[in-house]
Amino acid sequence: MQYVIIGSSAAGISAVEAIRTKDKDSKITVISDEKKPLYSRCLISYLLAGTIDEKKIWYRKDSFFKDNKVDALLGVRVREINAKNKEVILNNKEKVKFDKLLIATGASPKLEDIPGIDKKGVFPLRTIDHTIEVQAMLDRVKSVAVFGGGLIGLRAAYALKIRGKDVSVFVKSESILSQIADKGAAGIMQRRLEEKGIKIFIGVAAKEITGDKSVKGAVLDNGSKYACELVIIGKGVSPNIEIAKDAGIKTNWGILTNDYLETNVKDIFAAGDASETNDIALGESSVNAIWPAACEQGRIAGLNMAGEKEKYQGSLAMNSIEFFGLPVISVGITRPKSSAYEELVKKDTAMNIYKKVVLKDGVIVGVVFVNSIENIGVIGALIRNKADITGIKEIILDDYFDYGKAIPLIKKSKTGFKEQEFKETVMTL
Amino acid sequence: MKKIYCNIKKCLGCGSCEIACAVEHSRSKKLDSAISENPLPIKRRKAEFIEEGISVSTGCQHCDNAACVAACMSGAMYKEAKTGLTQHSRDKCVGCWMCIMSCPFGAITREKLEKQVVKCDLCPDRNKPACVEACPTKALSLGTFKEFKQLCNM
Ligand SMILES: Cc1cc2nc3c(=O)[nH]c(=O)nc-3n(C[C@H](O)[C@H](O)[C@H](O)COP(=O)(O)OP(=O)(O)OC[C@H]3O[C@@H](n4cnc5c(N)ncnc54)[C@H](O)[C@@H]3O)c2cc1C
Ligand code: SF4
Ligand code: SF4
Repeated sequence: MQYVIIGSSAAGISAVEAIRTKDKDSKITVISDEKKPLYSRCLISYLLAGTIDEKKIWYRKDSFFKDNKVDALLGVRVREINAKNKEVILNNKEKVKFDKLLIATGASPKLEDIPGIDKKGVFPLRTIDHTIEVQAMLDRVKSVAVFGGGLIGLRAAYALKIRGKDVSVFVKSESILSQIADKGAAGIMQRRLEEKGIKIFIGVAAKEITGDKSVKGAVLDNGSKYACELVIIGKGVSPNIEIAKDAGIKTNWGILTNDYLETNVKDIFAAGDASETNDIALGESSVNAIWPAACEQGRIAGLNMAGEKEKYQGSLAMNSIEFFGLPVISVGITRPKSSAYEELVKKDTAMNIYKKVVLKDGVIVGVVFVNSIENIGVIGALIRNKADITGIKEIILDDYFDYGKAIPLIKKSKTGFKEQEFKETVMTL
Repeated sequence: MKKIYCNIKKCLGCGSCEIACAVEHSRSKKLDSAISENPLPIKRRKAEFIEEGISVSTGCQHCDNAACVAACMSGAMYKEAKTGLTQHSRDKCVGCWMCIMSCPFGAITREKLEKQVVKCDLCPDRNKPACVEACPTKALSLGTFKEFKQLCNM
């Protein structure tokens, strides 16, 4: 057996680990265009902020490839997948044969199509190289413009504020964190960021980046100008699907797979930010470009490549962010788009506490908590298992809501909570 | 794999397990001095009411496919190959709370200022976990699931 994995980040690494639990000896080749790939992408903004020790971003040991008997081809790109010949072709024209292939190519930042976007000092924040380049120019930077108020834009803004820069964030949509939090939660987070000196402008986008070779400022779509030496673009990501598409693999927004994460082409699997999966809360296909989903999909794809028959249960949007000591976590649907959904909200403005759950037909489909997060995972499990929360609806937002309160409902459930750990914990009720 | 089980039929919800856990994870490991430590020691077990008169003591289940491990962006949460336990490395943790977001049992607690998390580690310095020893009704036990079922006559 010859395994080939394209991409050496969350999904690719998890796949290697999963394959090695089943198959200790077959050849695994990992191909990555990043030269030093064993870092955690999520931590590059922490590195930029300087709030963690640099060591911490290396989330697997240097010896990972050796320990797992992996042939790692680093700093090379796969140019083409030849599905018929079962080989991948690299940009140095070498070919690598496979019996089972995993496409874990991740996603790329969307860059804006505006004049000046190619000037020196304009960056997305996706790779450790971006971080190093930004760090290298920080001494010369006084002001920063961040375009995009999502997770990555705000993480970058936060990091640069901690680095003592004057930071303004320009957000085109109606609030910050529109993918992650509802308006109530986003409002609290925005206030905290503003209190700490990050300026946030809602409803504004960049029209042009100005300067000679290097950035000197930006012209905004409301006509005003903003002087800055650094521009960060945080406009979301799009899945890297081109090589899959060219090989005749079915794609939509991301690469499409069956329940076992195999594509329409036999023996070719996909996982992580590049792929599209069934979203449990939405009940439809979606790209959930998040670390936990990439790891879980990588693990399951790896097992199935090694001959198991493990079903992927579907993904859920979820994220956790903290700014200046104020955490927000959300799971599932937080901004319902129709009146078919019911929302329960509880807040304590003085304490910056905000809690909301979203229901549809009595079943819980989403949650967002600010500053009171300890038991949110229990609610996440209820969402994942499509639990009917009649009976605990009145207490679900209370501070004392915890796993114990969910036990009767788990015991009763016929369709969900299949994992052994649930059975063990409710057995004696 | 051995872990801590709670027999709900025997649990009184008295919280003895919580206190024993916090003391075991304090600096002094003694109740009288633990209560004046700053920061206060954090418990990793919780005595929770299920409904009127019914309680359970819960903590990390050391899950087979641990959601906290998949979610951990720093590699701090990991499965220990030898024991199957879910372990946490303070050296790696960055305090991102992704594990808290993911744990179905609410078994992870923040150390807010340290930007760390804590959870059940089965008391590495002891033979029998402190909570199991402290439970007055023997609702808590350490063992395999098979042993737990036998204990409960199930
Ligand atoms: C700043 C930042 C913060 C984040 N924070 C969070 C967070 O808090 N929580 C969260 O859940 N997620 C977060 N994410 C998202 C998370 O990092 C991704 O979901 C995760 O990295 C996806 O892993 P992946 O393996 O699918 O893809 P990627 O991490 O994108 O890795 C894919 C790899 O494949 C390589 N590659 C692509 N095409 C080719 C090719 N043709 N040949 C060779 N190599 C190729 C890429 O260069 C890359 O190295 C964050 C991301 C960023 C950038
Ligand atoms: S912390 Fe939670 S998810 Fe992780 S192993 Fe323990 S019970 Fe399972
Ligand atoms: S808080 Fe620590 S252990 Fe939990 S996911 Fe983040 S880095 Fe991992």
